[in-house]
Amino acid sequence: MSNAPARSDASRQSDAIPMTTKIANLVISVVLIAIAASAIATTADFPKSMLATDVGAARFPIIHAGALILLSLILIANTLRAPTAAAAGGPSVGVAGYAGVALGMLATAGCIAAMEYVGYGPATAVYMAVIMALMGQRSPLWNPVLAVGVTGLIYAVFHYALQVPLPVGSLFE
Amino acid sequence: MHELDLLMGGFAALAANPLALLLALVGVALGILIGALPGLTATMGVAILLPFTFGMDPVSGLLMISGVFFGGIYGGSVTAILLRIPGTPAAAATAMDGFELTKKGMAGVALGTATLSSFLGGTASIIVLIFMAPLLAGFALEFSASESFALAVFGLSIIASISGRSVVKGLIAGFLGLLIATVGMDPMDGFPRFTGGYTELFNVPFIPVMIGLFAAAEAFKSLEDPKVRLGMAAALGRIIPDWPTYRRMLGTVARSTGLGVVIGIIPGAGADIAAYVAYNEAKRFSRTPENYGKGELAGVAACEAGANGCTGGALLTMLTLGIPGDAVTAVMLGALTLQGLQPGPLLFKEHADLVFTLFAGMLFCYVAMLVIGLGSLRFMGRVLQMPKSVLTPVILVLCVVGTYAINNSLFDIGIMLAAGIAGYFMQKWDFPASPVVLALIMGPMAEANFRRALSLSGGSYDFLYSRPITAILLSIAILTLLLPLVKRWRAHRLESRAGGTASPLNQA
Repeated sequence: MSNAPARSDASRQSDAIPMTTKIANLVISVVLIAIAASAIATTADFPKSMLATDVGAARFPIIHAGALILLSLILIANTLRAPTAAAAGGPSVGVAGYAGVALGMLATAGCIAAMEYVGYGPATAVYMAVIMALMGQRSPLWNPVLAVGVTGLIYAVFHYALQVPLPVGSLFE
Repeated sequence: MHELDLLMGGFAALAANPLALLLALVGVALGILIGALPGLTATMGVAILLPFTFGMDPVSGLLMISGVFFGGIYGGSVTAILLRIPGTPAAAATAMDGFELTKKGMAGVALGTATLSSFLGGTASIIVLIFMAPLLAGFALEFSASESFALAVFGLSIIASISGRSVVKGLIAGFLGLLIATVGMDPMDGFPRFTGGYTELFNVPFIPVMIGLFAAAEAFKSLEDPKVRLGMAAALGRIIPDWPTYRRMLGTVARSTGLGVVIGIIPGAGADIAAYVAYNEAKRFSRTPENYGKGELAGVAACEAGANGCTGGALLTMLTLGIPGDAVTAVMLGALTLQGLQPGPLLFKEHADLVFTLFAGMLFCYVAMLVIGLGSLRFMGRVLQMPKSVLTPVILVLCVVGTYAINNSLFDIGIMLAAGIAGYFMQKWDFPASPVVLALIMGPMAEANFRRALSLSGGSYDFLYSRPITAILLSIAILTLLLPLVKRWRAHRLESRAGGTASPLNQA
């Protein structure tokens, strides 16, 4: 009688996952399970198909959501089973880095909101200047010049060359 | 060879019509620009140009539209490779390896390979269209709902091979994409699913999601590292790939072109599906499949040859049967009708001179695309010389404007932003974006055709195995899905025994 060979330390070490990735995997899995479960719950309100031969509007979302739940559970099991590595490989992103990303995302949301009222030109020029500043380009002269120049060039390409209208803004309509 | 004589006659007629040649050149250049801009697809380019062609003679008008079509399919690859912004859905496949090559400082050779492969794939597909149109037209008629469903399942099975380090995370991304693909009107009853009352969600917002997942996510990532923020982007390097390198890819280009032509013929399947299928087959036949996804030139060649190979196939069924192969040819069908030409078998008999002049013009369009493409790559590559602090804001503005241009909708920009945020975190935690895009393309096609096939068969599932093309495609799909899993599982077992490197199967 012989036992199955134990996995070597090197192999276990190579399967190891940093704690931050483990937490992320678990959080993402739980969020996905919640999304999939709510999708399945929503399908209860879908009407039955008028065709006797059809599987109905709910069948495919249920299959996809069910598979998503199963795969998320597998990811949770794999994550919990894997040993914890000391730290993530590669350069780590500091608080300043994440703050830059968050501000970039907020600026994009702000640009979308502003575009509805002031239209493409002002919203995009300000947005571009803000993103350039976030990227470290903080010249008081070049920032506005580049922002207005690029905004104007894109407007010319889309509006005049390609005949694609860009938002005017409810304040100027 | 009757066709060859007619083609020679077509070239002679074309030479006597310099305006048509000039308009074809303008069309190709415009198509490349439209294809390169995010949000603007070849379909949109053809639709925008259609009213301008009303007053032109049929050859000039149709060649200009063909130029936009061909240039639009190719143009998407330029920004996909340089900036990871897929200008067209097909270019999302090219971005997988193309952008990795840019990060390695090989942007030039990636662009050169894409241009050459697009030219070869497109030209070969037009030659097939010229000489084998009647022969292949019958194949399109073999495709009903069950075959289209099987093709979509085959396309979806590719997810396993484009999953990157973790198959589980790739499959999660794929099924999340499939779930998102069910948002909108139910394909059979028209019931709005998961729309929350928003009419904007009645159709799956596929292109905003793609732009967000690829381009916006990459731009947000650039914001996180101060060194990256202030640095210059990658160098362009050599443009034309050296002959020994490209010669090794000729088999891949030929296979991908063949796949592109066949997929192009199938109604409802377009360049996006062809690019992914060609990529998967190139990886399957490769001696170094592990390099795919990490910057493999053959991956770029396969996607571009496949996508451009589709053009001839899509035109084939449109011209011979009046069935458009994809959305672009559906718009072109309208252009033909407006010019007083009725697509169908009689078109080749009653207007043979005109049709073969058009074919000669299409071959000219591809040569023009090669010349304009290669000639402009150095100029387009200058984008990489811009400091990232300027390039990233430009990318984000293009994402916003390009997304708005699809439906003139600010709501779509919101979806793009949400996808960009999700894409940023997906990159951060190793969830690949490509399976989501693939699922968004194939999901609606699979569901609609499965339910249609089921209705046609009276509720019986027999069509899954009783129709030969369906059965073959589904069998290949099962093999495509399972083989990478089995290979990874075996590799994992061997590594576990030997105590080797990390296994991708268990990489959570």
